[in-house]
Amino acid sequence: MRSSLFIALVLLSGAVAGTVHGLVNLVLVEPYLDSAIGIENQQLFDSGKEKDTPEFWANYYSYRAWQKGGEILAGAILGTAIGSLFGIVFGLSKNVLPGSSFVKKALILALIMWATLYVIPFAKYPANPPTVGEPETIILRQTLYLAFIAISGLGALGFYQVYKRINKKALAFAGYAGLMITAFIAMPPNPDPITLSADLLNGFRMVSMVGVSSFWVAVALILGVLWHKIDSDKVTREKYQ
Amino acid sequence: MSQREIAISKSSVPRKAIIALAAIFAFGLFVVGFDQGHLFAPVFGEKAFDQMYIHELTHDLRHAAGFPCH
Repeated sequence: MRSSLFIALVLLSGAVAGTVHGLVNLVLVEPYLDSAIGIENQQLFDSGKEKDTPEFWANYYSYRAWQKGGEILAGAILGTAIGSLFGIVFGLSKNVLPGSSFVKKALILALIMWATLYVIPFAKYPANPPTVGEPETIILRQTLYLAFIAISGLGALGFYQVYKRINKKALAFAGYAGLMITAFIAMPPNPDPITLSADLLNGFRMVSMVGVSSFWVAVALILGVLWHKIDSDKVTREKYQ
Repeated sequence: MSQREIAISKSSVPRKAIIALAAIFAFGLFVVGFDQGHLFAPVFGEKAFDQMYIHELTHDLRHAAGFPCH
């Protein structure tokens, strides 16, 4: 496949899937974000940093409308970025992935990447709504989160190489599990206190996971279908009865 | 009578494409997940770190996608 066509397919699938992610968030996640920001606003009023005036609310709603629009744009950007990684891995691994079609192969790869790059890191460092997170700890939290994702992703890649050499799936899987359990225990927890209600926190985390999962399903379906349709990869089809 | 179809791809992924997509991945991830004013700092200086324009614009997705925020 030509470079330009490959890049175009990957970017298109990532951008569209990212937009889907943004739209799902607008419907499912925004009510939780608004509730959490409402708590922040109340804290500002109570501390005297802001006054509960019509002017405040006019500015607030205008600002929030801008941020909600930004969510779609950010979804497209993040989708394009993560979709690029997905496209690279899919392009390199499509011949060894299980599945009888490109769509099935893409869905299986998306399931693996969703688990290693999102679900497992989420178990250690779950998503938090506004009001959770001190500005002073942002660099530490970003470093920890990125490091855990890198350990999980590179660990999966490393143990896949081990599997290819020793051809023992259970042993390679156990090695990856051991690595992640060690990282889970060794790495420090999120240092910031959580003062939100459990209902708001858990509800936010649940819909957050639905949103991210919608991206992985969408990017796999779109890239798999596009790859199948275009398929200018000089595919040799052997038919036999 | 059953019929099976097997798709075999012979070509590999172009190296140029991998490099370009890897750069897009790193840049996009930084923009949405980690920028705290760094991208506009060369133009606006310290003010960019106070305003955090991109951080604020991507704020909702940053929370929803699981990235640390604030």
